Amino acid sequence: MVLRIKLYPSKALVALSFSGAIGLTFLMLGCALEDYGVYWPLFVLIFHAISPIPHFIAKRATYDSDATSSACRELAYFFTTGIVVSAFGFPVILARVSVIKWGACGLVLAGNAVIFLTIQGFFLVFGRGDDFSWEQW
Amino acid sequence: MAGFLDNFRWPECECIDWSERRNAVASVVAGVLFFTGWWIMIDAAVVYPKPEQLNHAFHTCGVFSTLAFFMINAVSNAQVRGDSYESGCLGRTGARVWLFIGFMLMFGSLIASMWILFGAYVTQNTDVYPGLAVFFQNALIFFSTLIYKFGRTEELWT
Repeated sequence: MVLRIKLYPSKALVALSFSGAIGLTFLMLGCALEDYGVYWPLFVLIFHAISPIPHFIAKRATYDSDATSSACRELAYFFTTGIVVSAFGFPVILARVSVIKWGACGLVLAGNAVIFLTIQGFFLVFGRGDDFSWEQW
Repeated sequence: MAGFLDNFRWPECECIDWSERRNAVASVVAGVLFFTGWWIMIDAAVVYPKPEQLNHAFHTCGVFSTLAFFMINAVSNAQVRGDSYESGCLGRTGARVWLFIGFMLMFGSLIASMWILFGAYVTQNTDVYPGLAVFFQNALIFFSTLIYKFGRTEELWT
């Protein structure tokens, strides 16, 4: 399965953009449906945008080392996990104070899950090579 | 009868090398615990906004726990043993004192959160959820610190 993804990176790209669109659809449904109509959940997009940043900072900082792991990389995992947890916690908090309804919260959480899986998919497919370049496809 | 589970082995899964991933798994678990603790406290602060329900001073425990987390994890075990080549800015004894102070802050915050739970919530005739939130925040940060400090091995760094 992993080999087939690597042999057809363009197909993986299409699949990943599809799942990304599905995730964003869930998020927008959670905001824009007539029953809900509250747009505060869109702030989770900030968490989605900053979630890859710790990984890239750690990658830059420990460029020369061929060790299996490093303290910087593990700290990056720690903060990335924190950002993911925060993206799930934020809609729950909004629903707890009734700023959004629980149905909207559920849709936003589903959208979160799909989008984070998409981001992780991007890293699995495109992040492997030593030269992180766009020539891979 | 004694030792009848001695030869039991978990089913083998050779697709992933868990020994190489130990540090990553420990970091992720520690991250989940730490940030879940903080979001529990944020939830309590949002649902109980009045100071009579959740005194704003109770946030201090979480802040000191977080400070202690970063203090404890700032020194590596190698520096405390005196093994690493560069002695860092404090040296071996300084690293030990730093670690000691960090653990004292951590335990102090944990005990303070228990005190808050029992003294300010359980014994008064009031809704106990904010006290539980303070306690769970500090307990989760405490366990997160332990996992992040002792769940990783420094051999993977060489």
